[in-house]
Amino acid sequence: MGQTIAEKIIARAAGVEAVRPGEYVTVSPDYTVIQELYFVRNLKTMARLGIDRLAHPDKVVAVVDHTSQAAVGSGYQELHTYARQFAERTGFKNFFGPGSGLRHLVMVEKGFARPGTLIFSDEGNIASIGAVNALNIPISWEVLVTMIGDENWVRVPASVRIEVLGDRLPPGVWVRDLVQAINRDFGTGDDLVQKCVEFTGPGLAALSLDSRQGLLAGMYHAGADTAIMEADELALSYVAERAAGRPYQPVAADPDATYDLHVSYDLTTLTPFVTAPPTHDNVVPVAEVAGTRVDQATIGSCASNRFDDLQAAAEVLRGRQVSPHVTMYISPGSAEVYARAAREGLLEIFAEAGAAVQSPGCNTCWGYLGQLTDGQTSISTHQEHYPGRNGSRQAQIYLANPYVVAASAVTGKITDPRELW
Amino acid sequence: MPASTDTSDSLQAYTGVFRGRAWTFGDWISGDDGIVKFSELRDFAADQDPARLAEMCFADLHPGFHRQVAKGDIVVGGRRFGVPSHPPVPLAIKACGIAAVVVESTDTGFVRKSLNVGLPVLGCPGITGVVETGHDIEVDLRAGTVTNHTTGQTIRTQGFSERMLAVLAAGGLVPYLERQVGLRPKETT
Repeated sequence: MGQTIAEKIIARAAGVEAVRPGEYVTVSPDYTVIQELYFVRNLKTMARLGIDRLAHPDKVVAVVDHTSQAAVGSGYQELHTYARQFAERTGFKNFFGPGSGLRHLVMVEKGFARPGTLIFSDEGNIASIGAVNALNIPISWEVLVTMIGDENWVRVPASVRIEVLGDRLPPGVWVRDLVQAINRDFGTGDDLVQKCVEFTGPGLAALSLDSRQGLLAGMYHAGADTAIMEADELALSYVAERAAGRPYQPVAADPDATYDLHVSYDLTTLTPFVTAPPTHDNVVPVAEVAGTRVDQATIGSCASNRFDDLQAAAEVLRGRQVSPHVTMYISPGSAEVYARAAREGLLEIFAEAGAAVQSPGCNTCWGYLGQLTDGQTSISTHQEHYPGRNGSRQAQIYLANPYVVAASAVTGKITDPRELW
Repeated sequence: MPASTDTSDSLQAYTGVFRGRAWTFGDWISGDDGIVKFSELRDFAADQDPARLAEMCFADLHPGFHRQVAKGDIVVGGRRFGVPSHPPVPLAIKACGIAAVVVESTDTGFVRKSLNVGLPVLGCPGITGVVETGHDIEVDLRAGTVTNHTTGQTIRTQGFSERMLAVLAAGGLVPYLERQVGLRPKETT
């Protein structure tokens, strides 16, 4: 009986021939990736356990991304210092401090996430690394276990297959609209819950590596545990540049692998969507909410903070001004994205439009920066929009693609970007 | 660290069976804005006060829940219960004295976050159709069964692994690891 990509990677990491959905197995991960909040808490727990160093420091990657700027009055400056002192004291090399960006991007850019690798993480939206055929298993603060040892348990997820068709996205449409279509269809049901979403189909060739990562990052918020796809030439050539001699083995699904569900989406039939409050499946065509006044417009989050996302926003903002009553924030996903945005003139476009560019990090997505107050409305490329996510529970949060967010920033109300072209 | 199963006396004695009064909740109850309020817990650098978390628990859905619930009661939740969640969510449920949670569905993250603070969350499709608030129910984590003693019905699901049971037997992940690294177990963590 054939195996899916996820089953093959888990079987390899467990040292067995094959695994089946629902089976509990013990695996040795290739890496564990952690953000600063869990990292420092876990270091302190280790200290209480009498352990003063990581068992396999080469297999742990820690990134300061949630609190890229430690604000006055917060406890985060102390947290950053604690993490730095630990890295200096123990010689821990894979520590990426403020300004590095999100661990989702760092893992791929620095060549940690490679085809066939199994990577434990604190949070599930790091499924984005599946775009280079690496399997993410989210385990929250339990990353502590692999900081101390070299193994942990996994319940093998069943896989579902989403086939992407079509050779291009229509104007004003972004990969984000595919994420929202999937949320619309599966955002309240159980079809994706505790599953691995395996993407396939000819439409993937029409998506950049940036867009593929954004697509996979969105699956956690649609209910899945993780997501992955095969590595094509584009992914393999990218990985070859980053792997720095470290090994990897691409993994493909067997032709007779078993999937709980098989659905397809055609890129050419998508239109710009908006996810309205308060649930993930409340996805409507932009026309249905067009005209809603917005106070804040934000580009960022692990689903939409890569170079291509910033470029999409810049296409709309070039030569235009953000509406006087709107605050616009833009958070590049990594130092590499930030530097490229500078080289290619995007930062100039943002600055001239009146948008505020923040340091690479999660920033506004979890309400750390740019807090909303009572009665305010925002439109963003964030991943979550439940009440209170970005500040006040009495604020309204709409989610959309970077074209829609930028167009709305310019007009001051939710706007179909195709009206500006 | 070896991948061995804890063979201490406590695991031998650990039954993984909980019997208590059920409190039922519906579908799509968010962990971050339903069980707790993420908007009031954003300071992750700070430790959370269990008494405050208990007061917050289900406060909008069921005002006064933390005062009405008795130690050992069991929460029965619907589809996608507790999704999404940050680590304070299972701590809030536990702080109310809830011994176990049985749900139609949830994500693996919530199962693991809960397990690691010593709160079992068992996925059991069909459970909301056979249990009402106030029923006397019994959850057997090892066997993967939930028995409703009020109605006499039993419903089956996949049980917990021995490793998961060992974490629960220790009282959570940190005390479990204390044993794994060979330290003397402590009363508090």
